[in-house]
Order: sequence, then structure tokens, then C-alpha cells
Amino acid sequence: MADPGGFDHSGGGAAADAAIGPAPRPFDPWPATIFVILLCLAVLFLAPTLGVLLSSIKTTREIAFGELWMFPARIYLGNFAEVIANPAVHRYFVNTFLVTVPATALSITFGVLAGYVFAKLPFKGGNLLFLAIVSGMFFPPQVILIPLFRLFNGLGLIDTLWPIIFIHTAMGIPICTLLMRNFFATVPGALREAAILEGANEWQVLTRIALPLSLPALAVLATLQFTWIWNDFLWPLIFTQSDEKRTIMLGIVNLKGQYSVAWGVQGALSLIASLPTLIVFLFFQRYFIKGMTMGAVKG
Amino acid sequence: MADVRLDGVAKAFGSVQVINDLNLAVDDGELLVFVGPSGCGKSTMLRMISGLEDVTRGRIMIGGRDVTHVAPSRRRVAMVFQSYALFPHMSVADNIGFGLKLARTPPAEIRRRVAEVARTLQIDPLLDRKPRQLSGGQRQRVAIGRSIIRNPEVFLFDEPLSNLDAALRIRMRLEIARLHNRLGVTMIYVTHDQTEAMTLADRIAVVNGGSIEQLGSPMELYDRPANLFVARFIGAPSMNVIPGTVTVEGGVPAIACGETRIRLSAGPVPPGTSDATLGVRPEHLSAVNKGEGDFAGRVEIVEDLGAESLVYLQTGLMADSLTMRVTAGSGLSAGDAIGVRLDPARLHLFDSRGLAIR
Ligand SMILES: Nc1ncnc2c1ncn2[C@@H]1O[C@H](COP(=O)(O)OP(=O)(O)O)[C@@H](O)[C@H]1O
Ligand SMILES: [Mg+2]
Repeated sequence: MADPGGFDHSGGGAAADAAIGPAPRPFDPWPATIFVILLCLAVLFLAPTLGVLLSSIKTTREIAFGELWMFPARIYLGNFAEVIANPAVHRYFVNTFLVTVPATALSITFGVLAGYVFAKLPFKGGNLLFLAIVSGMFFPPQVILIPLFRLFNGLGLIDTLWPIIFIHTAMGIPICTLLMRNFFATVPGALREAAILEGANEWQVLTRIALPLSLPALAVLATLQFTWIWNDFLWPLIFTQSDEKRTIMLGIVNLKGQYSVAWGVQGALSLIASLPTLIVFLFFQRYFIKGMTMGAVKG
Repeated sequence: MADVRLDGVAKAFGSVQVINDLNLAVDDGELLVFVGPSGCGKSTMLRMISGLEDVTRGRIMIGGRDVTHVAPSRRRVAMVFQSYALFPHMSVADNIGFGLKLARTPPAEIRRRVAEVARTLQIDPLLDRKPRQLSGGQRQRVAIGRSIIRNPEVFLFDEPLSNLDAALRIRMRLEIARLHNRLGVTMIYVTHDQTEAMTLADRIAVVNGGSIEQLGSPMELYDRPANLFVARFIGAPSMNVIPGTVTVEGGVPAIACGETRIRLSAGPVPPGTSDATLGVRPEHLSAVNKGEGDFAGRVEIVEDLGAESLVYLQTGLMADSLTMRVTAGSGLSAGDAIGVRLDPARLHLFDSRGLAIR
């Protein structure tokens, strides 16, 4: 009656919706606060990377005279060209691969073997041994640095890559064992027993059942170990002396020694040096999926 | 084809005795069911036969061969797990053919035999799927397929149907019975469900606390339970058990339950028996007119099940109600006062230790 034009429908509808819909909630400051905090942290973490990126595309002159955070007038790729053409850089890369790949593979292999035993083949004193191995994670490297130096010196292995491979393998075992044991523990025991009844031995249970189901754990470990060993600075610094044996992280610093101010080149090498870890991450991240054991048991 | 014999088998986990002195002979081609409440040691028995668990004491013979210390895969047994235990990363075909592959069977032969097994279990359209893409019933079939492909001599089933819904459980039960008929192999089947045991078994072993309470055909256990535990466990709804005192009047034994005396026509009662338990199955009670029959009762609740009804009665025999099974259309309803008649030939009497008096 009140509305001959018939436009009341929308108004009445909205009123009805408001009556039915949830009451307006009081303003919750938490999501906003958390967002702001996370944003600040993200900026803090990304700023150095941005700084490196900016200096890698500037000429030495621009770096010397300009502002650190300023964009260059023109993107300069000479630093990258210089780094890529430098034979010393090639050597650093090869050395780092020679350390990282075997140490990653070995530490994961040992972790898989030990983790399987701890998870699936309990034995007397096993838990104690497991704790002992895992406690290895908490050793500060500085404590064992001097004894290790004397040990490898005695073996005549100073200025070779062997000590670095060996130490990274050994130091990776605790975390690899811990992670693999915990992952294998989630693989239902009935799967192992079913395989054993079908004629599998323990090795076949591991390689055909447990490992294929543990790809997420293996991917995480591979990424972690690769990144950690690739980026290591301390052990190569201690055990290598000649430029021929240096790894990439030392190489970045060495470049500084060869040129007076080499921020641009260093920035370029830093970015190139982080590419392998990025590639490893991108390659393995598709295995970081859950639910691999879904459908194994029960409905 | 093989028979299974357990001689004095015992199992302890640390200091906990789980199985005591188990003696059992399963005939060639027999389907024997272990039934008992959960935690009574059924799975442990099965796992000892399969070799997944060592025995603490005793000897296990399969087909006349002492396998006590033989590796599980060499015992020619196959096991179907409650959880199915399918390998989640393998296709159905790879799951079924896993054992053959380990035995280095040529791939063409594996494919042929997998196809054959899949056909008999009607899972051939599923061969390329992963276990997670299957329903519970299909998974169970795949698990059975994996167990039959290597032609084992003894099948072990550990509660294979307990993860399925009721309708599917009945269908799969039938299929396992068919499988047994077709293959004619020895099967040992574990369940906590007495209906499953009754319907499937050639013989049932009722297990309690790590020992076999009674071993016999389903009807033997039903009609002549050796003790109170078996009497209560076998049959659904379970037997009415009524505590009482045995008296002898004029040479005829009777049992006094509450204010009611019930004459025991069946069998002599050993002298000196006093405290005893009377057992009567729900179908051996019948409703008669008020004032007639062996004792009076009041209908408390009537559950109509379709073809029959369960009637819960308040009586003077004991505080708990009695269950009576009658055909549908009895006309009884809650609050009715009736007389109750016992079938005198079907009464069970148990002594104070719970053993049957016959
Ligand atoms: N590996 C084990 N270690 C210790 N105790 C166990 C182990 N396996 C089973 N038991 C115990 O043995 C008893 C029987 O178990 P089980 O055979 O699984 O019973 P059921 O299958 O009849 O339910 C239970 O009390 C259980 O706690
Ligand atoms: Mg069990």
C-alpha cells in the first residue's frame, strides 16, 4: 500500500535478509594485526635479497656513487657476464656439487636405513641408541672443530673436499634418522607384514613399500640437506686453503679480494649461487604432498 | 591342501601370558572360526600360525611339516588383514601380483594369473585403480585376490569384514563361504562376531582369555555349551542365565530361582550341588495364559523384528529381565501380565564354576 511503484520489494527483501543473516560481528583486530606483523617480517627478510639484486644490476660506478636502494638508470648485465665467464666460478660450482650431492645422498641413505630399523625392527636398547643419535643434532660445530681439524690433518686430507663430505654426511645423520623414523612409523605395520607374507625380505619391504610411501619425507630431507650443505661456509673455510678447492660460498667472499670494490659481481654471484637450491626446492616441492598413505588401511 | 596342528602352543609378551597351552587340530579343507571377545588373543593365535609372531612354547605343524621355525613366506599360508593392508602406491593389479613378482614370475604369467583371479572375484574392471579409489568391499576383494593368487594351502582371515557396513558384511560373508567351497582349502577365520562364526564355520573355537573354551560345530556349541561363557557368547540374543539353588524333592531335582522352583527333568544333578545357574535360550520360553506355565511374568518391552519379536519380561526369577523370542503377531504388548513356559528339554544347568551339568 505504501509503495504504489512496487519498488518496495528490494527494500523488504534486504530487510528480510538482514533479519535472517548473522548478526554483524564485533570488529576483530587480530587478523589485521597479524597481517601487519607478517608484512613487516616479509619486508625485513626480503630487503637484503632486494639489495643484492639491485647491486647486481648496477655498474661499479653506480654502486660507488649511488644510493643502495635506488633503481639503476639502466639494467646492467655486465656483472653476470663477468661471473659466468670466470673460470674460478666454474671451479667453485664443481667443488660445491662434489661436496653437496654425495653428502646429501649419503646422509639420507644412512638416515633411511637407521630410521627404518628404529621404526619397524625394535630391538633392546633401540630407543636409547635413537636418542643418542638424535642428540647429535645439538652439538655445536665449534666444539668438534679443532679435534676434527687435527684428525683430518693427521690423515693428510687438508685442502681436499673429503673432510667436508664426511662431516656433512655425519652431521646430517641425526636429522635424517629422526625424520625418517617418524615417517616410517606412520607406515602401517600391516603393510610390512603383508609384504613379508608375500615373500618380501626386509630390504624389499623398505625399497618397495616403505620408501615409495615416504617420498614426501625424502623430498623434504633432500631439500633441507642440499640447501644446508650448499650454503655452508664454515667447514670449507676450515678444511680448504687453495682457491682450487674452494666452494661457492667462499668464492663469493674471494671475489671481493680480487677486485677493490666488487659489490656488483658479488651480488651477481650470490644470485647465481642460490639458483641450484632454488631448483632443488622447485623440483622436490611437488612431492611435499600429504596423503600418500591414504587408502592403505581401513575405509 | 594341508591340515594345521598346534601342540601346546603358548605365547607371552614379556611377562604377560597371552596364549596358554593351545592344542588344536584343523582338518584339511576345514573352515575353522576363532571367535571371542576382543583382546582374548585371537589375532595372536593367527599371527603365530602365519609366522608373523614367534611362539614362546610349543609346535606348529602345517601339512605334517613342522613350521614352528619356518619363515612366514615359506609356510604356504596367506593372510587377509582386518585393515586390508593394500599397498597404497600400487595399482590393484600390482597389489595382487606382488608376491608373484617377488618370486620372479615372468610378467606375462603374472598378468595372466592376475586377470584370472580378478575375474573370479569380479574386480577385473578395477585392475588399474589405486586402493584409495576403491570402496571397502572392493578393497576386501583385492586383499582376498592377493592372498589366493599364490595358491596357499592355508588361508588366515583376521576379522576381514569388521570394517564393512552391515549389508556388505553379509554379502562378503557369503562370498567367503563360496570361496571356501570352490577352493576347498583349509581356512582359519577370526572374528568377534558370533553370527559370522555360526554362519561360516565348519567348527568354532570359542576363545576366552587366551584359551579355547570349547571347540565344536556351530550347532553343538549352540545346543550343548560346555560352560557359561560359551552359553552366553554363542547365540543372539544371548541365553538367559538365572542364578539359583539346586534342591532335590522326592528324588526329583529342581532349582529355586527367586521365589520360583523349576523342576529339572533333564539329567541327574551331582550330589552336593547347591549354587547353580539355569540357562534358557529366548526361543525356549513361550507365553501362555496368566496363571498357567512355570512362572508369571510382566511384559516390559516388545521389540518387533519383522518375522519375530523379542519380548523382555520382568519375572520373580531375578532382578534382570528375561528375553523371550516369539513369532510376530503374538499380540503381546508392554504391561501385559502373562504366564511363561520353559521348554523342559532345552534347559541348561551350570555349576558354581560355570561348567555345564549334563
Ligand atoms: N606385540 C604385543 N605386545 C604386547 N602385548 C600384545 C602384543 N600384541 C598383542 N598383545 C596383547 O595380547 C592380547 C591379545 O591380543 P590380540 O591377539 O590382538 O587379541 P584379539 O585379536 O583377540 O582382539 C591383548 O591383551 C593385547 O594387548
Ligand atoms: Mg584382533
